[in-house]
Amino acid sequence: MKRLLLKVEPILWLLFGQGILIGTLLLTGWVLVLGIAAPLGVVDPISYARAHDLGASLIGRLVLLALIALPLWKGAHHMRHVFIDTGGGDRDATVAPLLYLLAAAGSLVAILAVVRL
Amino acid sequence: MPQHAHPEAMAPSKPGSTRTAPPLRPPQLPFAGRYRAYTLFGWTGLLYLLLGFLALRVVWALGDGKQAFDAVIASFEHPLYIAFHVLALVGVVFVGVRFFRLFPKAQPPRIGPVKPPPPAVILTALYAVWIGVTVVFAAILAGGIFA
Repeated sequence: MKRLLLKVEPILWLLFGQGILIGTLLLTGWVLVLGIAAPLGVVDPISYARAHDLGASLIGRLVLLALIALPLWKGAHHMRHVFIDTGGGDRDATVAPLLYLLAAAGSLVAILAVVRL
Repeated sequence: MPQHAHPEAMAPSKPGSTRTAPPLRPPQLPFAGRYRAYTLFGWTGLLYLLLGFLALRVVWALGDGKQAFDAVIASFEHPLYIAFHVLALVGVVFVGVRFFRLFPKAQPPRIGPVKPPPPAVILTALYAVWIGVTVVFAAILAGGIFA
């Protein structure tokens, strides 16, 4: 498992970096409107019909997929390193696959979610 | 005709001292001194994981129909969700500021004949893109444009 993790390390770091960059670019507006402003009644959230129309377009699907999947990989990779920093590298062989499996499963479901729109 | 380099060409002239002791955990970890920001940066991973799954819940509901979508959006009115999203916004902004500050430092001195722009220009461009994407995306989600 350790050898496999080392082999895919460049991909993991790529997804981590894109998770920070694209994830942060998209999540700021998402959290601001759907997480804070709309629930507090400051703005009305986008209607279902409009959200579905925009989300079902090719660009919409790609944006939504990036919004979901990239933060998952950023989160998994960062939490792996938190576990290494706080608990040492001994548990890494168990923790790392679990976190990456979580991100991979979430990404697969995200693909399914945007395909079925 | 080019010759192959000697396989030991880059080897040191004499063997260096090999570190045999295991790496030591800095005593300042996790929250003392400059490790506070480092540790908090790491823990934002948990926020991003949760945000990713919450976004997945919204998009899945979008595929399920109007009733499911409206129910998910309405569920975000719970005070715990609002508190989480405020914390998440702080975390996302913290990650963005910390990560974008790295960009100028990560530039190569030059690419061929071209030098990278000054750090202030790179930072300004990054923040402009961030603010621009946020304003446009927020306007879409609030029904302000493309409505």
